[in-house]
Amino acid sequence: MDNDFYTGEFEQLLKEKTDLFRMFPSKRVWHSIYNNLHPSRRWPSVIMSLLLMSSLSFIGYLNTGVNNSNGHTTLAITNNPNAINNQETAENKNIFFSARKTQKQTIVNYNTSFADVITNETDFLTYTIVKNNRPNYIYNTTAVKEFTKLVSNKNAEQNSSKNFEQAVDNYIKSNKNFADIAVTNKRQYAKNKKRRSQIINSNELSTVNIESSLITTTDKIVSTKVENSNFDLNDISKEDKNTIAKIDIIEDKNRLKNDEKVWIENYALQNKLAGKKWKQHLAFQIYVTPAVNYRKLTTESRGSTTAFATADINNVISQKPGFGIEAGASINYAFANRMQLKTGLQLNYTNYNIDADQTNHPIITTILLNDPNTGYSYSAARTSTTSNVFNSGALQPVTLHNRTYQISLPIALAYKLSSENNVDWFVGISAQPTYVFGGNAHLISTDLKSYVSDPSSISTWNLNFGFETYMNFKMRSYNLQVGPQVRYQVYSTYRKYLALIEKPYAVGLKFGLTKGF
Amino acid sequence: MLNGCLRNNATSQEALYSHFSPKMLGICYRFAKNREDAEDMLQEGFIKVFTQIHQYRNEGALEGWIRRIVVHTCINILKKNKKFSDSVDITNANSIRIREEMIPSIIQAKQVVECIRSLPLGYKTVLNLYAIEGYSHKEIALMLDIEESTSRSQYTRAKAMLEEILIRKKIIQKPKKKIKFYGAVSPS
Repeated sequence: MDNDFYTGEFEQLLKEKTDLFRMFPSKRVWHSIYNNLHPSRRWPSVIMSLLLMSSLSFIGYLNTGVNNSNGHTTLAITNNPNAINNQETAENKNIFFSARKTQKQTIVNYNTSFADVITNETDFLTYTIVKNNRPNYIYNTTAVKEFTKLVSNKNAEQNSSKNFEQAVDNYIKSNKNFADIAVTNKRQYAKNKKRRSQIINSNELSTVNIESSLITTTDKIVSTKVENSNFDLNDISKEDKNTIAKIDIIEDKNRLKNDEKVWIENYALQNKLAGKKWKQHLAFQIYVTPAVNYRKLTTESRGSTTAFATADINNVISQKPGFGIEAGASINYAFANRMQLKTGLQLNYTNYNIDADQTNHPIITTILLNDPNTGYSYSAARTSTTSNVFNSGALQPVTLHNRTYQISLPIALAYKLSSENNVDWFVGISAQPTYVFGGNAHLISTDLKSYVSDPSSISTWNLNFGFETYMNFKMRSYNLQVGPQVRYQVYSTYRKYLALIEKPYAVGLKFGLTKGF
Repeated sequence: MLNGCLRNNATSQEALYSHFSPKMLGICYRFAKNREDAEDMLQEGFIKVFTQIHQYRNEGALEGWIRRIVVHTCINILKKNKKFSDSVDITNANSIRIREEMIPSIIQAKQVVECIRSLPLGYKTVLNLYAIEGYSHKEIALMLDIEESTSRSQYTRAKAMLEEILIRKKIIQKPKKKIKFYGAVSPS
């Protein structure tokens, strides 16, 4: 390339060379894109991740014996010559603390998998004791013998290992002497935040705390010597101490970086563009549903032999379906690829028409009520100005309107059945808690001859269920929804004390306009 | 693959992504501050690609269409992060010197890319758009909300600076100056 350049083709050269340049993105990028494009398919991976994390945490919790929160590993050495000799390496008669080698060779590492941690607040603030899985040799050391003597007075059955352990534990719990046991001063550690090897050397039993991070990362500490197992801090040369300190700092930084990196990666993977996604899945909708209202009348009476109680009420009234309308606004949230959750506010107007004859003067009549205490029906006197025209002609025909004005809070679920080009087909169901704030009710009298106007008989609260199916047409920035809807009222329009039960339902055509945020 | 993407098929989308992402990341990298930023740009770009793929009308190469979306995404991100406007050192970048250590010597393509990336943000953006992506100064001016004349002058300076860097890094040779003769006197 050194010679293939000349100024006149500078741009061409740049283009040629840069076009050759390729970089391979990390997997995170595709995961984020995938999650963004297919939000519904993210749930299994999230659940699996949570399960995995929970399992790992649980296993970690079970396997944590010693103070593992600060990354220490408690190692114990003894000054038993036999034990030491067995652990010497061929290269050197001294005991070497080796990150990868001596963990198995020279230092007995309590297996924390089976460790049982007892934590108490003492002068040492916090200490941890590895109880289980103690190596056998520990019972043969001079330290243990001395210790056994000390404990033996308190427990006569200390001959067996099991009883010995119990004795040791009891002894430890009695807070008398903790220097014999591996001690980790957690609080001190937290205060100082200095990561350094803690070496506690007693005459009988020595324990060494070594940063696990140092063990796994550096070979420089390998040369830390312990001569004849009488290990002391003074034995560590100044150079080694400096090395340890330096490595501590480096490790600290690295560890933080790694932690951060892992956290960031996980966070990025699971939550990439969470804010935007949340917004992308939301849409605002306004809609209107012109509907035809129907109703079904029944009676619920007890002990009454009136015409009202015995007749099929639907067949003795001259009535016609009325025109109603529902209109509202909702927020739609697409929580899965095909599923939408909707909620909002909806105003309903329901209407049902009854043919009647206007009377010239009010007449006294009765309506059938149910006594809430006894459950028996009784007739209550009312006045009426309209009469039933079923099977008779009307002199002054009039149409009575059973109306209600409602406000409801629909909570709906919609499922996308299919999608083709710019048209989606949905089905949906909704539950609509409804507050009735106005209306009029014309009730048929007990003798089925008159109508009584009684708005107070309308129940204030009700519940409706809706079923709809619609086509969603994707337009430029809006979506148009059109489809039939059926709305059914669960409870009677009238209060419970009325023997007349009305359950209206509406069949309408819904038009909705949706816009994303 | 394209039909699958139109149907929002994940496998097809992944195939398309795998095919074009290395090159597109290379483009993003030229605009971005670092690799992470470049990957973010790539991600945004491909999301746009997949969500707007129904707008692709099979006129021209798909790669060119994707490339345009990715480049626009890069520019939008730079503008949104105000990295671009903050560093409209575009007008003051003459005084900026390039640090030698910023330019690693790896392979030629990467060398050239790294040399471009070592330019001040304003310079490299204009240079990327004009010399490599082929946008006109008018289009660049619109994209970056700057004057057309600014785009021209910045490109001239960017080009000079890049040339200097490339020569200094021995990626190119200094062009020999042609001797120009003025007047009626001929050398012969």
